[in-house]
Amino acid sequence: MAEKVLTQHFGLKNVYQIDEYIKQGGYEAVKKALKLKPEEILEEMKKANLRGRGGAGFPAGVKWGFVPKVDKPKYLCVNADEGEPGTFKDRYIMSHNPHMLLEGIIITSYCVGIHSAYIYIRGEYEAVALRLEEAISEAYDKGYLGKNILNSGFDLDVSVHRGAGAYICGEETALLESLEGKRGNPRLKPPFPASVGLFQCPTVINNVETLSNIPQIILNGADWFTGKGLPKDGGTRIFGVSGMVEKPGIYELPIGTNLKDIINKHAGGMKQGKKLKAVIPGGMSAPVLKADEIDIPMDFDSLVNAESMLGSAAIIVIDTGTSMLDVLKAVTKFYSHESCGLCTPCRIGTSWINKIVKRMAEGKGSKKDIDDIVRLASNILGKTLCPLGDAAAMPILSIAKKFRKELESRL
Amino acid sequence: MSPEFSGKVRKEIDRIIARYPQKEAAILPLLHLTQQEFGFISPESEKLVAGILGIKPIQVREVVTFYTMLNREPIGKYHIQVCSNLSCSLLGAEKLTDYLKEKLSIEPGQTSEDKKFTLSLVECIGACEQAPCMMINFDYHGNLDKKKIDKILDGLE
Amino acid sequence: MVKIHIDKKPIDVEEGTTVLKAAETAGISIPHLCYHDAFPPEGSCRMCLVEIEGLPKLELACSTQVRDGMKVFTKSEKVVEARKGVLEFLLAEHPLDCPICDKAGDCKLQDYYDEYGLFESQFRESKEKREKKDKIGKSLIHDEERCILCRRCVRFLREITETQELGVFERGIHSRVNIYDLTPVDNNYSGNLAQICPVGAITDEDFRFKTRSWFLKKGESICPLCSRGCSITIEYHPGFSHFGVPSRVYRIQSRENQEVNGFWICDMGRYGYSYLSENRLDKIVINNKEWNIQPTWEDVSYFINQQLKKLDEGKKTSQTVLILNTWLSNEELFLIHKIFKNDQNLERIFFADRPQAEKDDFLLTAERTPNKKGALEMGFDMKPANPGALSDKTDLLLAFGSFLAEQISAADLKKALEKIETKVLFTSHENELNSLFDIVLPTALIPEKGGSLTNIDGKIQKFSPVFEPPGDSLPEWMMLADLGRKFGINSSFYGEFKTPETIAKEIENEVPFFREQK
Repeated sequence: MAEKVLTQHFGLKNVYQIDEYIKQGGYEAVKKALKLKPEEILEEMKKANLRGRGGAGFPAGVKWGFVPKVDKPKYLCVNADEGEPGTFKDRYIMSHNPHMLLEGIIITSYCVGIHSAYIYIRGEYEAVALRLEEAISEAYDKGYLGKNILNSGFDLDVSVHRGAGAYICGEETALLESLEGKRGNPRLKPPFPASVGLFQCPTVINNVETLSNIPQIILNGADWFTGKGLPKDGGTRIFGVSGMVEKPGIYELPIGTNLKDIINKHAGGMKQGKKLKAVIPGGMSAPVLKADEIDIPMDFDSLVNAESMLGSAAIIVIDTGTSMLDVLKAVTKFYSHESCGLCTPCRIGTSWINKIVKRMAEGKGSKKDIDDIVRLASNILGKTLCPLGDAAAMPILSIAKKFRKELESRL
Repeated sequence: MSPEFSGKVRKEIDRIIARYPQKEAAILPLLHLTQQEFGFISPESEKLVAGILGIKPIQVREVVTFYTMLNREPIGKYHIQVCSNLSCSLLGAEKLTDYLKEKLSIEPGQTSEDKKFTLSLVECIGACEQAPCMMINFDYHGNLDKKKIDKILDGLE
Repeated sequence: MVKIHIDKKPIDVEEGTTVLKAAETAGISIPHLCYHDAFPPEGSCRMCLVEIEGLPKLELACSTQVRDGMKVFTKSEKVVEARKGVLEFLLAEHPLDCPICDKAGDCKLQDYYDEYGLFESQFRESKEKREKKDKIGKSLIHDEERCILCRRCVRFLREITETQELGVFERGIHSRVNIYDLTPVDNNYSGNLAQICPVGAITDEDFRFKTRSWFLKKGESICPLCSRGCSITIEYHPGFSHFGVPSRVYRIQSRENQEVNGFWICDMGRYGYSYLSENRLDKIVINNKEWNIQPTWEDVSYFINQQLKKLDEGKKTSQTVLILNTWLSNEELFLIHKIFKNDQNLERIFFADRPQAEKDDFLLTAERTPNKKGALEMGFDMKPANPGALSDKTDLLLAFGSFLAEQISAADLKKALEKIETKVLFTSHENELNSLFDIVLPTALIPEKGGSLTNIDGKIQKFSPVFEPPGDSLPEWMMLADLGRKFGINSSFYGEFKTPETIAKEIENEVPFFREQK
């Protein structure tokens, strides 16, 4: 059995084409799944403890279980709006192995009773979108998509929907709004998308990496999958490492792999001559870890205990030559730019903090500014309509807390 | 002159609309097409798209102004979008931006006089492993340095 | 029903009620800006956050539904701090120009700052520059800098009028509400926008800078300008006698009435209030009669009485003509019916009303008077007045209102009226028509009297006086009850009618429709 779940085919030439993919055992999972009952698949999925790879970490099987059995169309939205700074894993999956994702889509749809799926991909990934469209067209030609898939009586249509430059559309309800042709403003929850989602119908929304795990779970079983990670957090993760390391890139490793090892062993250690100062362990919105805090297993719970989060498992490595004020500036600039503007604390708070940090970076700051940033970020935290507010506040608060002395020294 | 889609594009539009149970959902795909056909999205284009989807032009404007990739002004033949987010700035994106500014004699947000280049600073484009990186139109260019930028720009007609 | 506690106060509320509405029923008001009863909760302003026992985060009062046993805290330290935080954000980018803002006094942001804020601004950065003082509709002035993005206006135009003239453009801090290029807000309900805007972002040019809202007195009334009978609030300045500032109406606002108009009124009803103050008749006018004193109503009623008696004794009541209109209340129409139809068997009763006009598909009806349904149900056959019927062997004409002039040409009317010996007009306004009558009696308008009206759907709605009628004007019902006492068959019957309510009660006794509607 393959060591890797998601990237096992990445080195192979042309595996993004269906013939090559099938040669490597592709679409066997779909064949197997279509012979199972949907309830059996759901049971296996729940056992696998496949937690969402987009950032929130919600178990996929549980999520599917929330979809009510109503006489309405149901939809699958694939969240391919990879926008969390530091994150690029889904781009790899979709461009290297689009059919693995399609298999995940087909199995999920069959399990939940969905006949229409949309892959919402960020607008910048035009080339990836084209690759997906080619893969979809191949799958239709081979009878893996469309009417009566493999004579199972199951129908499924899949199409690609491109975003147009808005980080917030990675938030699931904003994604739905955007897909419906509106501004990408998040929706008030409840109702949750599982009951009232796309076009007011029950909807499953899963991340690309999450769905791409499914074929292997179906083929090898839940136990095999949990054996790769942790019992409550099954499988592997594709860690995307960027910043001041020798070998930035993606590394598929068991969940719970030590962060220190990811940086030092897999990503080649610090870039030549650089010393580690801090690590953002789960995409930009994850609270920063100091150099002495990186001896930590990379799983949801361990990072929560360390007051950070695994998020999208995007690791950004920061060296001692980098000013934390510059890091703070990049963070506040990003969230201020990406706030959708719907709710008050996020709209005005992220902009206000960004204005202060910009002024500080121009050398016109004071200690009170740091206090103000902390106070304002606290007034955003937990008080916004969607998670973007928290995503903005958490890294700001952690930098201000852990690197206050440095920030003060830069005033 | 009011913009119009060619017969071929209209057929493509019909195919796109058919994917959704509600016509309105086709707005982003149509706006991408509009930008591809006319270079940017003018008020006339907003009306054109609104007409096809049976919605009010204001609704199109609300959407157009929300998404950063949709341009409301004409841009240069090559849209250079430099990532200014964290991983790229750690690895020198700012210096490369300065270099591009100097080389093209334009500031971010501007288009060169010969309409060849538009320079923009953008947030993370999802290619952090190749930081610092940029997009020229939809092509990604990573692991940039001055020499590489020279080579890329020299190769553009 | 579920049992909950809000601020330790036990409350029983219907399942499905939101915390905000549940608190309201208990007299606890939770501040909110984006929430409006007319729309589903939006949850964007974040002012209504409350603490709910057992939940880690503050929750929205506007959208959270009550659960049995729920314990809500609306004034805990955590809640007050959160409100302060939201206010601080809102005010950071707000121009703080209350002294020159027309919404001052009516502004929720101002009120909440007063209640929860009163902090020093810590905002040291430069505020966003935005469009100001733009005219976006026939009476709407828009200020993007004051806007708090609650989107009530946008939702109103999307969900209520479905005209969508306003939208949200850009995003983040640059988000702004505006019209599409220069296409203005153009619908008959635009005035509601200034009313639902919780801050000074949309102000009403009709009202703007004419007075300050805290000088105004308010009274509840019913709009009489069509037969919908929308609930309204009339806001008037009682006048500054020492400066010679007369009392006048400055603004009509809509008032919630779920059975009739929801939360809204049309622009015709909102802006068409000048008739309440302008060209009002405030004295009895005598033309062509040799009276050497300025008569009182007593003198005139005595005179009318004499005329009626003279005709009655000569068995010539058929030579009396009555012109009515449907601005008259149910009570007034009832008295007329009683005195002239029942007691006098008068047949020549005509109606002269404002002509019908185009209706819209929302509130405005084609009928442009408030009580046609009432007149029909009272048993009038509502023949329209015409010159022939009017002057044929007529000795006494009693006319109500000035709509005759809209129904019959001036020349025809003059010719017809010349043939009639005694002509009495009951009217509220100075009008060219008045000179054709011998006696013109000033009457009260709807906000100046009590009574009821029956709207197009047969709903009977009571109204009470908001302010005094001008000068010597009297409500028609008072004059009619007086005529009844003097002239009616059973004067003690009419003697009972000291208030509109006593008349209404008698209507219910006698007219099944009014009994059933109740």
